[in-house]
Amino acid sequence: MSEAPKRIAINAGGPYVPGLNAVVAGAALAAHELGWEAFGIRDGYEGLLFRDRYPQGGLLKLAPEGVAGIAEAADGFLGTSRIDPFYVRTIQKYEDEMEGVEEIDRSSELLTTLQNEQIDGVISVVGRRPLSIALKLANKGLKTLCVPESVENDIASTMSLGFNTALSFSIELLERLRTAARATRKIAVAEVLGEHTGWLALQAGIAACADAILIPEIPFDLAKVAQRLKQNQESGRAPSLIVVSEGARAVQQGQPHLESTGTIEHTRRALSPGASEEGTDGGRKVIDRSGAAAAAVALEIQRRSDRETFPFVLSEILRGGRLTATDCQLGMAYGAAAVRAFHDGHSGVLIAFQPQIAYVPLADAVNKIRTVPPDSQFLQAARAMGISLGD
Amino acid sequence: MATQLNVLPEPVEAAASAGPIKGLVVNIQNFCTQDGPGIRTTVFLKACSLRCKWCSNPETIHPKPELAYKRSKCIGAKECGRCLKLPCPEGAMYVVDGPDDKVHVNWDLVGHCGAECASVCPTGALYMFGQEMTVDEVLEQVEKDSPFFAESGGGVTVSGGECQLQPDFVAALLSEAHNRGINTAIETASNVPFRFCEKVLPHVDFVYHDIKFIDPVRHKKWTGVDNKRILDNLKRAYETWPDKKFIARTPLIPGVNDSEEDIRAVLAFIQPHKNVIKYELLPYHRFGQSKYEFLGRNYELADFQTPPAEVVAKLRAIVDEAFGRKGWSEVNNPLQPPLAEDMK
Repeated sequence: MSEAPKRIAINAGGPYVPGLNAVVAGAALAAHELGWEAFGIRDGYEGLLFRDRYPQGGLLKLAPEGVAGIAEAADGFLGTSRIDPFYVRTIQKYEDEMEGVEEIDRSSELLTTLQNEQIDGVISVVGRRPLSIALKLANKGLKTLCVPESVENDIASTMSLGFNTALSFSIELLERLRTAARATRKIAVAEVLGEHTGWLALQAGIAACADAILIPEIPFDLAKVAQRLKQNQESGRAPSLIVVSEGARAVQQGQPHLESTGTIEHTRRALSPGASEEGTDGGRKVIDRSGAAAAAVALEIQRRSDRETFPFVLSEILRGGRLTATDCQLGMAYGAAAVRAFHDGHSGVLIAFQPQIAYVPLADAVNKIRTVPPDSQFLQAARAMGISLGD
Repeated sequence: MATQLNVLPEPVEAAASAGPIKGLVVNIQNFCTQDGPGIRTTVFLKACSLRCKWCSNPETIHPKPELAYKRSKCIGAKECGRCLKLPCPEGAMYVVDGPDDKVHVNWDLVGHCGAECASVCPTGALYMFGQEMTVDEVLEQVEKDSPFFAESGGGVTVSGGECQLQPDFVAALLSEAHNRGINTAIETASNVPFRFCEKVLPHVDFVYHDIKFIDPVRHKKWTGVDNKRILDNLKRAYETWPDKKFIARTPLIPGVNDSEEDIRAVLAFIQPHKNVIKYELLPYHRFGQSKYEFLGRNYELADFQTPPAEVVAKLRAIVDEAFGRKGWSEVNNPLQPPLAEDMK
């Protein structure tokens, strides 16, 4: 059992989800209770790697009186960053006044900085991909714990912070879309976040009474979707809403169909946000596949039906706004549980809510995705409601 | 204090005692017609000191061998799964539960481990960019095309990446090519210490060099660094080797450097030097986009289009007029004699 930290820091490793403040508040209050000091790292690890950009310091002390009311606030006051300290694009000066760009491993420098600041342990609030960065740092000796956050709910072994808020807001927006589409006798095709997992599309789609829900776990055939919509219309249930996950894959007679649908992960390896030095970020335009699935499905359904369709994308908007009561409680509980885990000597683990708090080694948490199982109760409910899943 | 270039090769003398000098080669491409006069064999080397957002050879940027993955070639974990059975030190390969059992690569965990996974992949879905080769090994491949060199006036071109970041290897390669009667060219952005140019350029017959911008601020914005070193190197090279043939090139990126002012600024820089015999304009293309995907990287200019034909034609006319030759901004043989109409 290793010695418990006395000074902890909280790193928001991105992406942003509602509820980050709740984790900060929960951890800071729990640390105070133990007589420890808690700090927030500004903008993820950027606050420590680019200290010259933070004249007031890259670390922010979290006093209990300062965090008590922040949990429900929508703004993430610490800032987030998915910077990978092992791969930081840097402009170097060489001989002969030559400048060159290199990707530098600054992880040792980060660990030294944390050591100099006498930070004994770091709580990282991270999505599925930044978990890998936390694992690499843990393997290098950083005492760290991870709190799972994901609006897609795609982190294995746990319920992720931010999902409930995104789900609630998605339902509200989908209901508005359905109403608008029905009034104009059109079909709305709404794309929601979900690269590998269809939790958001499935649960929100059921709640909003969608006519079809297309998720990555079930390859969909548009001919079958169109056929189902036609049947529904003939039986008096005019179609008005299709919900599609951004990573849902179209097939035709068992073969991949529509290039613009399907997995997109390989195009999305993030450069460090620090990749663009000041003055070099112009023209930064990453591949943005957002909306491609909705556009493709809307076009194909319109071709196969007598109704006009229109695509609509619910992507980054789901990351903002006030958090739900569930996420507020979950965030506070995760923050407090992380401090307790440090106190109990844990490190290198993901704090999981199953719904009891459990500790999953980071090495077991990366490379795993929480997908919708074929026997999911939600799938059964959707089928029972006559919702097409495209299969 | 200046930082040591991490791609600096060992000095030739030091390498000699440790065996033949080796270069890090990405690819040797036959029958190239865009990289110098005649039919050429182009040797692409690894490492670059710029990060041009439009780079069409992203596999050449990093100074070490790196893993690539072409997902469409993966036959899946059930059929194969060999890469998953290896004790991958990084734990970078995985599959997702569901109907698609193709392997995924966790690019955040991929290191420079030697990539045994690539060597066991039967379909070539996983493969490596970059392998060490000696001068003889490279020239053995190059010389297979020598009959075409003789017929067409072609030869070997060394490209990259920035080939001059491996100056000792390139100097040895081109020197030996000359010994074997093969003419030589390089493609360079010239962002290297000048002493590297001093090693390489004496062995080069045709120097194809980029000038992406004259304006240092925009150069930094789009390539990561300013262009002081580049322009200084070029000016010094023009003056140091007055008999060498230099061909300037500008990749025309729409809305970035395809204005008349940009092209006239380059012309003003090169025209005082009579050994800059040609200025070629290379319209932007996205041929390299898929390679970004294979490397797990973002392509930042995914929404950029090829510049409009009328814009290219207008800029070409400016260059042609400046050189007094028609078609002189296109990629063609810099040794072709002037046409009668050019001489008017």
